[in-house]
Amino acid sequence: MKTFCLQMRALVKLSFLELWRRNDIFGLLILGLALMVPLSMASPFGSEGASRYLDEMALLLIWGFSLFIALGTGSRLFPPEFESRTIFPLLAKPISRGRLLFGKYLGAVAATWSALLFFYLLFVGSNLLRGGALSMELFQAVVLHLAFAAFAVSVSLLGSLLVTPSANLTLSAGLLTSMFFFGRKLPSYAETLSGALSALVKVFYAVGPHAEFFDMRQRLIHGWGAVEFNVIAVVLAYAAAYTLVCLTLASFVLKRKRV
Amino acid sequence: MEVVKVEHVSRVFGEVMAVNDLTLTLNAGEVMGFLGTNGAGKTTTIKMLLGLIKPTEGTVSVMGGDPSDPQARARIGYMPEIAYYYPYLNARELLDFYGGICGLDKKTIRSRADVLLEKVGLADAAKRPLKTYSKGMLQRAGIAQALLNDPDLLVLDEPFTGLDPLARIHFRELMKELRAAGKSIFFSSHELGETELLCDKVAIMKKGHCFYQGPVKQLTGEGEKNLERLFLDVLEKGEVK
Repeated sequence: MKTFCLQMRALVKLSFLELWRRNDIFGLLILGLALMVPLSMASPFGSEGASRYLDEMALLLIWGFSLFIALGTGSRLFPPEFESRTIFPLLAKPISRGRLLFGKYLGAVAATWSALLFFYLLFVGSNLLRGGALSMELFQAVVLHLAFAAFAVSVSLLGSLLVTPSANLTLSAGLLTSMFFFGRKLPSYAETLSGALSALVKVFYAVGPHAEFFDMRQRLIHGWGAVEFNVIAVVLAYAAAYTLVCLTLASFVLKRKRV
Repeated sequence: MEVVKVEHVSRVFGEVMAVNDLTLTLNAGEVMGFLGTNGAGKTTTIKMLLGLIKPTEGTVSVMGGDPSDPQARARIGYMPEIAYYYPYLNARELLDFYGGICGLDKKTIRSRADVLLEKVGLADAAKRPLKTYSKGMLQRAGIAQALLNDPDLLVLDEPFTGLDPLARIHFRELMKELRAAGKSIFFSSHELGETELLCDKVAIMKKGHCFYQGPVKQLTGEGEKNLERLFLDVLEKGEVK
């Protein structure tokens, strides 16, 4: 157990050092500044509607940035190791491929979460300055967003072991973004189709990564109140199950990958 | 004690037979040079010794265990031929990272890193990012990471590549020191002079086959021939004259 903890710590630390040293942190600050633009324009005309609109913009930006960071970190966990040939000394150490994958995944999730929490800190701080208050739905939105980030990292990690880095980024981003915006419309869309096409859309709906499950933006913006905790639990269980499937598949691929 | 035991090992990649019926042993405290031209099967053999790939046929045992088992690899140190280690880390952080992967605690890593960085001549550059290192310096960082877990068996893939003459002499001395400390060393090389100076025994590979395996002195006839001549005999005629 001690060895496991030391190995995980080394891999997580490596992810943070990478985030810091590769100047990703400056990218993060720039994104933070971009986020501050709508937030600092709070209620420019003293209108609640405009304020909501700006909040919506800020939340959409947070979602976009977090997706970008999650997919970026997840997709570059293994390809650079193969490219720079550091995978050889790494796999020659007393660590199994499964454990290495899990440690790298943890590191990527920790780095993504730190960036996401930074964005929410800006959002919440600005909200509080405008006289807003902390709420249960805000807490739920952050928790679900963190779960989504962990889930998105696992999707891009799996993709990074199957296809080229650019194809992986395109596919993962396309898949998650389209599910985020159109996922909830797929069942009704399937009804308008017939035969094999309808079945195909239904299958895609069943197995696709449902990013839209984690989206509580509308509830936050319009103040619709918190969701029942059993709903949150189901979504978290969905994220955990999907992540587990992605990591298991990734581990399977990595174990069989020729080095 | 047999540290490395390879028995009738073959490895096929598609249509290519990279290693064909290879049998070799390395005993504790011995240094073995693994020679051959490019594509002879040296790196494939090394990968099998490290459990990175499995043999198509035959068995590989390292430190008495299956190298694909992480526990068996705990006593192995490996240095690849070329590795562009994490450019955003410095040498000390690199050792800190690999030490963590080996399951070493902070205190042990720190004390070993101090000694190793001094030994490989990187103490003054320990805090410089690896992206500013020359090829030879990266090679030295690679040696340090291979020795970090105080291994009983060192597997080195072309360790002399990229080293300047002075670093080469230092590395040779380091290998002699390790041998004197009872470590077993298995290394592939194109440097026949270095191999002759350092090794107790050699194995010569050509197109996946091992054409010779045995003590260097027996091969060179106590100085009658040099290893280069014999190596050429093997490559040209497939046999030792």
